[in-house]
Amino acid sequence: MKKKKYDVVVVGSGIAGAVLAKVLTQAGKDVLLMEAGLQAGMAFKPEEDYANYQSYLNQFYESTIKATNTPYPDITDAPSIGVLEIEAKTPYDTGYLVQLGPLPFASDCLRGPGGTTLHWLGNVPRMLPNDFQMKSRYGHGVDWPICYEDLVPYYEMAENEIGVAGDVASQQGPDMSRDNYGADYVFPMEEIPQSYQDQVWMKNSNGLEVNLYGQTYTINCISMPQGRNSNPNNDYRIDGTKWDKHDQKLKLTYTDENYEVIGSNWAAYTGERCEGNASCVPICPIQAKYNALKTLKKAKRKHLEIITQSVASTLMINEESGKISGVVYKKYKEAASKEYTTSVARGKIYVLACSAIENAKILLASNAANSSDQVGRNLMDHQVFLTWGLLPEKVYPYRGPGCTTYIPTFRDGEFRKDFAAWISPIDNWGWSWPTFAPGSDVTNAVITNGLFGKALRDHINDVVPRQALLHFECEQPPCPNNRVTIDPKYKDQLDNFRPVIQYNSSDYMRKSFEAAKKVSDQIFAANGIEDFSAYSPTEADYVTWQGRGYTFRGAGHIVGTHRMGSDPATSVVDTNQRTWDHKNLYLAGCGNMPTLGTSNPTLTMTALTFQAAEAILQQLNR
Amino acid sequence: MNPEQLTLFLQISAWLTGFEEVELQGTGMVDTYFKKACDENTAENVGYFFAEVAFILTSTEDQPEQTTALIQSRLMPNSSYNNMAKQITLMWYTGQWFADPAGNPQDSVQINAQSYVQGLMWTAAQTHPPGAKQPGYGSWAEQPITIPSI
Repeated sequence: MKKKKYDVVVVGSGIAGAVLAKVLTQAGKDVLLMEAGLQAGMAFKPEEDYANYQSYLNQFYESTIKATNTPYPDITDAPSIGVLEIEAKTPYDTGYLVQLGPLPFASDCLRGPGGTTLHWLGNVPRMLPNDFQMKSRYGHGVDWPICYEDLVPYYEMAENEIGVAGDVASQQGPDMSRDNYGADYVFPMEEIPQSYQDQVWMKNSNGLEVNLYGQTYTINCISMPQGRNSNPNNDYRIDGTKWDKHDQKLKLTYTDENYEVIGSNWAAYTGERCEGNASCVPICPIQAKYNALKTLKKAKRKHLEIITQSVASTLMINEESGKISGVVYKKYKEAASKEYTTSVARGKIYVLACSAIENAKILLASNAANSSDQVGRNLMDHQVFLTWGLLPEKVYPYRGPGCTTYIPTFRDGEFRKDFAAWISPIDNWGWSWPTFAPGSDVTNAVITNGLFGKALRDHINDVVPRQALLHFECEQPPCPNNRVTIDPKYKDQLDNFRPVIQYNSSDYMRKSFEAAKKVSDQIFAANGIEDFSAYSPTEADYVTWQGRGYTFRGAGHIVGTHRMGSDPATSVVDTNQRTWDHKNLYLAGCGNMPTLGTSNPTLTMTALTFQAAEAILQQLNR
Repeated sequence: MNPEQLTLFLQISAWLTGFEEVELQGTGMVDTYFKKACDENTAENVGYFFAEVAFILTSTEDQPEQTTALIQSRLMPNSSYNNMAKQITLMWYTGQWFADPAGNPQDSVQINAQSYVQGLMWTAAQTHPPGAKQPGYGSWAEQPITIPSI
């Protein structure tokens, strides 16, 4: 379906772009989907798809250091952020990001077909109602222009699309109960079994009272809703979404049939259940974990044109109408090739859906949508504080999905006036994140302590199965100085801008690390965990608070660079996620989120994208 | 490939790793690792190393404590045979080649894709390498199944 002008041009084939492509083509609209990554990743023929995906898996296996983007091609024509490039001292310019500091930004995303859903973990808790009112309730950040209730139908669409496995009834915590979901609501699939390790933690932590700055809080541990396959919930009746032309609404559709679990893209009967590969990040070998290419496969192909190896560069703006008249993109011949051709894609409506950082970059390069001066600002992430130790008994980590249980206790409360809220996933993968265990346990044992033979095997068998790791994913509020900018000094080999980042951690965050450590100490004590957490001034993102040092890490939750609001003077998009400045330009993705909440942002972003798709259909039908 | 050295390699690997020979053979990596150890060291050093291994295993046959003691004193010091014993141990556990374990322990390279999948550290920790040998739906909710050692 090659056309001169499409109904909608969508830039980016991650989950936002894929949802748009699916919803819009199913409603009969002609869509051009533009993707910067390699054509091979966009295979729809099963054999090619399988072969390409196996090449990802093989690259993961054979790489010495395994990080989030390791399995996937890093193409110099459209580089991805590498988390291993992070350095403690800013400013520096040694990777894709130009890091001006004062602290380095520690998160990455993936530029390629399917986007970051290829390496995401898949945790999909909803935001809490109070998360939408941070300014009026707690005096920090901003309020959203919409409330939780507005988003509920779209959350249901997103949970259907992703295929969420979880238990609604157990989602209990501050500002969270059955009421958040409605009386009869269930997820498409039953909860992913909580790990053996979780069960040991729960024995000693459920109902535990912890003291923090004179207040008492009760810890509870609940199952994590996840975008990975388990047994279908036979009470689930939602079938999908349908554009209702008459009512001009995107509506949920219902069925008498049971939910059909969606397996891998290359074979429906592969990946129908999570098989416990314990490698969700960076790659699920069987695609039991949701990825955006599953959604893209459902798009109506006769209405969809996909172009790959095509990097959006700038937007063309009609000076008279203020409307966007085209996307200038550069199509490179092959990976690492410096040869490219420049073309223009044209549609009635345009959507940038290529990550918070790339969206901001393209807008800034085009001088578009920025009358508020908010484009690129308010860059946010969960600043992840980790604590780790050894349990007195073996709990056998390094098995199952990365997280099957979390502590919601500090997701909401009056303390948010004083320090950041956090979500606490209990990590199933031992000390792998902070120490590169178990490899580091082996090298320490062999090289430092000279262990070998049975003594070595016994040592590894004693220590590794007792490793415990707790996350404190702390909500960073928007700050105008945490931002993405561009500078003609910094370009990539296609002459596109590279992101220049300024980033910091405020007192509000640093106090939350202190608070988290106090809570961790009490949870560790109750579980008999010997604390091995260590934070060094030589590490990237090491900060101090009242004389003590803490290291935080990136969560990969890149949010907030083109925020939604009710006032064109202080926001970039309106509640339909349409830019205030250009009537035919929408933005999709986590960049629209005014604040972060404590939930992993993909679910909320996907819900917002369904809402944007509906608004686009309404505009096209006007 | 020197067949006598290959046999010695398998035997000493079992002593160094704490795994049975049959477990090592089950990884399918014996030939690859033997070749790697030989290729990364001078023929002279390899010759001295295996002569020492042959001496230790012959002179302490059926006396496991003696064997362990001699490995400790004659193979494990950093001054012995360019640290081949440590290199071999680390290779089996991590699937990576450490060029200079004592001098630069961070300097290691994944040998190949299979060497990651067959890393013994995962077995020692009663789990499996992330992304391979998946144990099945819901298995993580129980204690791991262990195959009893010989």
